[in-house]
Amino acid sequence: MRLFLRYLLIFVLAFFPLSGEVKASSELDAPQIDYINKIKERGFLKVGLPPYVTPPFYYPDEKTGKMAGYDIDLVTGFANKLGVEVEFDRDSKDFNDTVFRAGKGDFDLAIGKLSTTYKRMSDTHPHEYMNFRQALLVNRRFVASIDRGLSEDILGQDLLNSKMKVGIIGGSSWESYANQFMPSAQKIGYKDWPAVKKALFETNEIDAIYRDATEIKKIIYQEPNLSIKYVPILFNDVKDVISIFLPTDANIAMSDVLDFYLRDYGIKGDAEIMEELSDFYNPIS
Amino acid sequence: MNYLKIKKFSLRLRSVKYFLTLILPVSILIGYFFPTASAPLNTIGVSLIKLITFPAIPLVLSAVVISISSLFDFTVAKKSNNIFARKLILNLLGFIFFSAALGILVSLFIKPGILSPEGKLSIGKFMLDTTDIQVNIFNSESDSAVNSQFNFFQSLIPTNIISDAANSSTLRIITGSILTGLGLAAVPEEKAKPIISFLKSINTLSVKVLEELLVLSPLMLICLIAGAFSSISTELIITLVNLTLCVLVGSIGFLGLSKFLFRKFTSTEERKLLSTNPLDDIYMLAISTGSSMACYPTIVNTLKNIGRKDNEVEASASMSLLLARLGNIIYNVIVIIFALNLYDIRITSLILIQVLFMGILTGIATAGLTGVAVLPSIGVALTFFNLPIPPILLLIVAIDPIIDLLRSSITGVSSMALSTIVCKRELPT
Repeated sequence: MRLFLRYLLIFVLAFFPLSGEVKASSELDAPQIDYINKIKERGFLKVGLPPYVTPPFYYPDEKTGKMAGYDIDLVTGFANKLGVEVEFDRDSKDFNDTVFRAGKGDFDLAIGKLSTTYKRMSDTHPHEYMNFRQALLVNRRFVASIDRGLSEDILGQDLLNSKMKVGIIGGSSWESYANQFMPSAQKIGYKDWPAVKKALFETNEIDAIYRDATEIKKIIYQEPNLSIKYVPILFNDVKDVISIFLPTDANIAMSDVLDFYLRDYGIKGDAEIMEELSDFYNPIS
Repeated sequence: MNYLKIKKFSLRLRSVKYFLTLILPVSILIGYFFPTASAPLNTIGVSLIKLITFPAIPLVLSAVVISISSLFDFTVAKKSNNIFARKLILNLLGFIFFSAALGILVSLFIKPGILSPEGKLSIGKFMLDTTDIQVNIFNSESDSAVNSQFNFFQSLIPTNIISDAANSSTLRIITGSILTGLGLAAVPEEKAKPIISFLKSINTLSVKVLEELLVLSPLMLICLIAGAFSSISTELIITLVNLTLCVLVGSIGFLGLSKFLFRKFTSTEERKLLSTNPLDDIYMLAISTGSSMACYPTIVNTLKNIGRKDNEVEASASMSLLLARLGNIIYNVIVIIFALNLYDIRITSLILIQVLFMGILTGIATAGLTGVAVLPSIGVALTFFNLPIPPILLLIVAIDPIIDLLRSSITGVSSMALSTIVCKRELPT
């Protein structure tokens, strides 16, 4: 009997601490820690970037050839908080494909001035970090042809209801926005932003181009003479919400950490960004 | 220093002499020594322009209604001796359309506002942020979808003269004012009188408000010129000289035409009664005083001296000097084309017709105004073509003290020519 009790004691001493460890281990196995651990084990954060060059948000540095810019700094800072490096994947076809691939889990997150749309939200989980007024850069001739001398708000409505030819980046959120806000307009998608600008300024195929205020204002800041022929129209109450997109697993694991990190940055509007990145937006002297 | 003294001082500052000797040098010095202040100075200057253009709509509305009603009332009321009245009206209309057409021809030939790349860059830099259109699409109401083909014709139809004025619907205000003026001319005098009196009060009030606001105009000039100094290039100065040249050509053209008409419509005996050429006297008088009304006594006395009917001379001289404002019509046409060229808007035949009518209507609307006070009316025309007002006004305001002299000379000599044509010789009793 004593022998039995001794063995029982040994068994209890041996297995009770072990069952405590089993409990602790199952807590560590929670998906959040597990996902972050995987990133840590891998040693880098896989980040999807659209296949474009969009200074000052993401562009290859002239000297190093490495990606640089506001979005790059933001995501690199986040990776540093996790204690890992960043690796960029720029093989997506366009903006939509970048978000779609993030949803499939090809990356831990996707960034790169990516707009938030309902369609994208069905694939991935957005975390807002900027919002910019939507804007048009319109040929003044076209504006003059539809203006009725009423208020600017009415002019804005008339423009959106008109049959103007508006250029957008194909496969971007601007296609959805254009369909939503400009039902009668002739929407023409181009392969990238330089092609959109060329269609307005060089080949005169279109009446207007559509994107956010930072891109529209940047054009006339860099070439002020264009403001004689073209007028920026800024929609104060229609914002382009820019987010970081996470796949479901990553969102479960990292949303708290990411939101905590983004809280330090704050959600910035176009005016703040243009002021903060004044090297890019200052008018040429 | 009380307000009256400030006002008097401000009036003196608006003369060419003070503009050249004080305003311009002070502005250039401020712009040169305080380049960092250019942005706030620009903002203050543009705000002052907006403030000064504030009475434009009631001014244009009342002036057009009163002018149209008095013009047509004149023809209707004086049917008994309607030969003079009809002749005056027809000639007045002929001169008005001719002056607008001359303005268009001169502008098409000299092409003011067509700039070199450097000039465009200079203006473009000044316009950055200033001309952006900011809209709220969810808080605004649009009365209909746009049908661009019929848009112009739709915009002609007035809905309600008060709401059109409240909405700054330029063309509707003008068509509404013309219809109201025609209606007023048709109703019996006793019924029309209170309305005309009310409109005259509005006009007087608008002119008064404008006059008071113009006390600020020297400050506005200093802010704008100093603010723009860093961004204005030699190219821009050449452009403004080009604009001035258009008005100068118009002025000399009208002097030549008026001399021709005076010679054609006066006999050798009549001309022998005059020691000097009255057109030269009137031209120089207007150029030196900057006031076309200052020519009134010379016109009336000259024509009376050669034996033209007193009452006809007085009627035609006052009507043409007060209502026709040919100098302002030519000038407004030239400035509108200058702005259209500046903004690369293709000048089609439809646009030219619009320019013609807007130049005439906004020119007539400046009745009783002189100097920079006429500029708000141009703003109304620019709004019609959806061109930003502040940059254009900034450019023309800088040369307005010189242009004002040329405008006055055109109005003065054309009034003399018109009166010579329409006024008959007094029959011996």
